[in-house]
Amino acid sequence: MRKIKIIAGITWAFICLILIVILFPGLNSFSVSTSKLPFMKLNPNYSGGVVIHQLVTENCTLNIRKPVFDGLIGERRSGFVQLDWRGVVPDNIIDTIDFDLDQNPDFLIFINRKQSIAKLTPVSNRVKDLIISTPTSYGWSVRVGLNK
Amino acid sequence: MDNILISSTMKKSFGRSLVYVLPMLLLTFMFMTGGRPDFSNLSSALAIGVTFLFVNILYFLMHYTGKTDKFRAIIFIIFALTLSFTLIKNMLEVRSSMSFSQADILECKIPFCHLVIPMMILPAAFTNSIIFPGSIIGGFADISSMVVLWLVATLVLGRGFCSWGCFYGGWDDGFSRFRKKAAIKKLSEIWKWMPFAVLIMVSLTAALTLIPTYCDWICPFKAVTEFEQVTSVESATKALVFVSLFAGLVVVLPVLTKKRTQCSFLCPLGAVNTISNKVTPFTIKIDKNACTECFKCVEVCPLFALGKEEIKAGKVSVFCSKCGKCVDVCSKNAIHFGIKGIPAGVMKNFSRNLFLFVSFLFISVFSAGSIINMLQSFFNLIF
Repeated sequence: MRKIKIIAGITWAFICLILIVILFPGLNSFSVSTSKLPFMKLNPNYSGGVVIHQLVTENCTLNIRKPVFDGLIGERRSGFVQLDWRGVVPDNIIDTIDFDLDQNPDFLIFINRKQSIAKLTPVSNRVKDLIISTPTSYGWSVRVGLNK
Repeated sequence: MDNILISSTMKKSFGRSLVYVLPMLLLTFMFMTGGRPDFSNLSSALAIGVTFLFVNILYFLMHYTGKTDKFRAIIFIIFALTLSFTLIKNMLEVRSSMSFSQADILECKIPFCHLVIPMMILPAAFTNSIIFPGSIIGGFADISSMVVLWLVATLVLGRGFCSWGCFYGGWDDGFSRFRKKAAIKKLSEIWKWMPFAVLIMVSLTAALTLIPTYCDWICPFKAVTEFEQVTSVESATKALVFVSLFAGLVVVLPVLTKKRTQCSFLCPLGAVNTISNKVTPFTIKIDKNACTECFKCVEVCPLFALGKEEIKAGKVSVFCSKCGKCVDVCSKNAIHFGIKGIPAGVMKNFSRNLFLFVSFLFISVFSAGSIINMLQSFFNLIF
């Protein structure tokens, strides 16, 4: 029994040695494999949700994302919708947004990029407030707070 | 005379130490240069050369002197300093600031660190997603690479990760070495269970809010890496918490107690690594036949892993991070690096050599990137 324990211990130690030796040269492929695991995707609270609608103008595209209410189990009572203006974004943004695609406007948004001023005018009673309005590397983004 | 003879058993001759360093020389050369050294950029070649020599000299000295901890601590502390330097430099280049903005969060550009991992588990299980505004793959410190690195390291080293791999641990390890003697000698050992309480608290709050609460509200190392831009009372409060915890747990208490108080009392990942200590093959063994119960090892242990009860029972606790401090201080070689399954007092040299090779290879390659980066910035200023 004592010998078996010794052999098992040494074998496990040598397996660990091999693991460390192959870890760094294999890190890229191990990481790629790990990134393909089912849970290895960003929670919509961080990614902003999937794009459900695009409004394309000459130089600028407005991406309207799916409203996010994700909680640990089921959905929360409050959430947000993220809008991204990409491309050559005008200095003044004035848009009427229908985020739930029911053909009725839900809110109006005005952004003055130069002065970093953003104003939200709710139309639907589901719209709460402006959570984030910020310049990004691709243009401008806002998150608007929503009730379920 | 007898003591000197026994304590020198881990020492090796110059030639024999060189033989032991050869595989490390080969592997670190391969990993640092990719097998194809590039001499076209002088500062880059110099930085790689200096790092390569530095790590291999440390490894040689571990074998030649038979001492572990002081050489481990050098690379461990330098790792912490250079990693913070690299992170801050990267942030200043990319964002012109140490703080991250709302845009960085929206664009998921926050570098990932292993301390987030305990908070990811419950949300990943329930929502099938990761609650962190970082990159899943690609870019600086992406989530997949950091998870793989930590997973392998904790499987192989257990809590040894906290002394041989964590790029934050070097901060309080460094400050714990400032004084020769501890000003505060009596600290209740009950506090060593605190990381488990923190782990439960941050795991539950992260699951309920889907926010990595430790990073968002507690992590002391935000003070030396990155933090949220102070734009409100809430963000100002967070910044105050980060700085206070860094000052208290990473600087002042380690200086006064000579213990790694942040690692011992707060770190939730330390608690997880404590659990994985049960799996790793490497451990610290106590040879009861050789032990004189002088308890010098208990005094020097920086993580409260050794108490008088543990010594009397001949077993170190799961809190051990295998830093080697207790091994170095034991004049009888009664406490030594070991492999599970091998009885205490047997195959001491073999066990130490195997553990040192595995753990040192990990820290030398893991830290090389940030050491090279800092040296390269330094050489760029000169040339």
